[in-house]
Amino acid sequence: MPTDSPTSPAPAVPTAGGHAGAHTRHRFFSPGRVLTIAGGTFTQLVRMKVFYFMAIFAVAVIAASFAFADLETEGQLKLLKDVSLAAMSLFSMLFAIAGTALLLPRDIEDRTIYTILCKPVPRLEYLLGKLLGVVWLIFISLLLMDALFSLVLYLKAQSILATQMEVIRSMKFPTRDALEASIAQVEDTVLAQGLTWNLQNGVLAIFFKSAVLTGVTLLLSTFASSTIFTIMSSLAVMIIGQAQSLARDVFLGTDATMAPKIIAGAVSLVFPDFKGFDIVDAVVGGTPVAGMIMLKMGGLTLVYLVIHLMAAYVMFSDKEL
Amino acid sequence: MTDVPAVSIQHLTRVFRLPTLRRQTVVAVEDVSFDIAAGHIYGLIGPNGSGKSTTMKVLLGLLRATEGKCSIFGRDSARVDSREDVGFLPENPYFYRHLTGRETLAFYGKLCGITGAALKDRMGELLKLVDLEHAADRRLAGYSKGMLQRIGLAQAIIHRPRLVVLDEPTAGVDPGGSRKIRDLILALREQGITVILSSHLLEQVQEVCDRVGIIYKGKLVKEGALSDLMSVEDQTEILLRNASPETLQAVRELIASRPGTDLVSMGNPRTTLERLFLDVTGGSTVEAREYVK
Repeated sequence: MPTDSPTSPAPAVPTAGGHAGAHTRHRFFSPGRVLTIAGGTFTQLVRMKVFYFMAIFAVAVIAASFAFADLETEGQLKLLKDVSLAAMSLFSMLFAIAGTALLLPRDIEDRTIYTILCKPVPRLEYLLGKLLGVVWLIFISLLLMDALFSLVLYLKAQSILATQMEVIRSMKFPTRDALEASIAQVEDTVLAQGLTWNLQNGVLAIFFKSAVLTGVTLLLSTFASSTIFTIMSSLAVMIIGQAQSLARDVFLGTDATMAPKIIAGAVSLVFPDFKGFDIVDAVVGGTPVAGMIMLKMGGLTLVYLVIHLMAAYVMFSDKEL
Repeated sequence: MTDVPAVSIQHLTRVFRLPTLRRQTVVAVEDVSFDIAAGHIYGLIGPNGSGKSTTMKVLLGLLRATEGKCSIFGRDSARVDSREDVGFLPENPYFYRHLTGRETLAFYGKLCGITGAALKDRMGELLKLVDLEHAADRRLAGYSKGMLQRIGLAQAIIHRPRLVVLDEPTAGVDPGGSRKIRDLILALREQGITVILSSHLLEQVQEVCDRVGIIYKGKLVKEGALSDLMSVEDQTEILLRNASPETLQAVRELIASRPGTDLVSMGNPRTTLERLFLDVTGGSTVEAREYVK
């Protein structure tokens, strides 16, 4: 090696503590690494300004609270709930599909994935981190949308109640009991259509559905050739998943043999039955949803997430980067 | 130093299947074998598409070998745990541009299991080492090419790996920045860290590497210690300082009087363009964008 190069004295590389590889033992699975990737994914999406969608949601909710003031009490509150929950559902699914579809292709295209997988990070942890990052974003965004929606619904219900009370007090009742009965009836009607814990079940169902869609999109992005293909195929899976229970009933009929049942079961793994998550209409209508149903829905979400994550890992583990 | 080589590549072959209906294949690397001793700087050179990147990707576990084996300090490089010993700086590294320099180091440090005060101290050391303390809290989207390479080098060594793989570390970097990276590579060797350097800048490879492997059309066509490969066995170089014309004439006559000895060339040695550039600019490494504030 020549010695006459214009080399300044080499800077000292700090090595206190020795080499990591020589002193630590690699852990097969590290929640810390998964959370680091999840946190990075969450930050990435937040800094892509996805929360700007919240402004659109806020406008939709506030507009719905003022719209159709000439409707009867029940109608006004139902409309507000309908619009708000539909917007929550739309935005969370948008986050699930668009957010997830972008992640893997971008990391591969930008070669960021090289620098991550060249660290002692198993590919399963990488995928799990990405999945949790998007799910965490959906959870936070739903929490913010739910807080705004709940506040507006509460204020709207209180405002309607106050108006109704004024009307009742201006009316003449034969007895005091009749007045109190009338007040109680109005209170019951308005409050039942207002902010209830049952409504939160609807929001939770939206979260579960979006989480499942995130898992599906992640799986598709492991073998899709482009982001647009991932988005389109995820939308297709969502539509098929929405209609599959109907198709299954037609396919199986009443006296189905074992073979069609197995085929139907396999199809339902690939195309999740999203109809099973649709409790929003019931919730808006005031029908109470049992805790056991929510528990089952949560369990089903977990099963779908595990299945899709494992399938994504199978596709991704041998992917040439 | 241990007897186990830092890197051992044995009969590595990698075949790619082309996405065509006729199932055509391309042999990217064919029967490549070499070892790298711990603490050495190894230069892997070859034209574009010769198989350098494929070899490095297999070594880093990003691709599977069709045939053959790679190991890092005795551990199969396909195993995830072998990467505890490896730091990698890819060519044109695009890190997460939404993160700041400090956040980038924190991200990669945590992936390597470094947390808390140890991580904070290590980030401080590395930011100082790569001269990016002033830009530590700026997002990478605003970094110049040289700054990106330097933060890339810092993330590659954040977990104190025993092997550092650098793919074109000075591509697109100005001579001052390039020299800084070269000095860092030399500093790594002083600390006993093994370095694999892939570069098209042959002069730089010549300056820092102990051994060199030349890959051409997927095959390792030449491999060995740089001093052995570079020496021209039948020629001798004599450098004189302040020699008078009479002295030079005497040397010429002496050579002419010896049968079988030929004078191949005589003249003033030339400096390198890089050296001239650095002399003229005073070795400045200040980033141009520093002035645009």
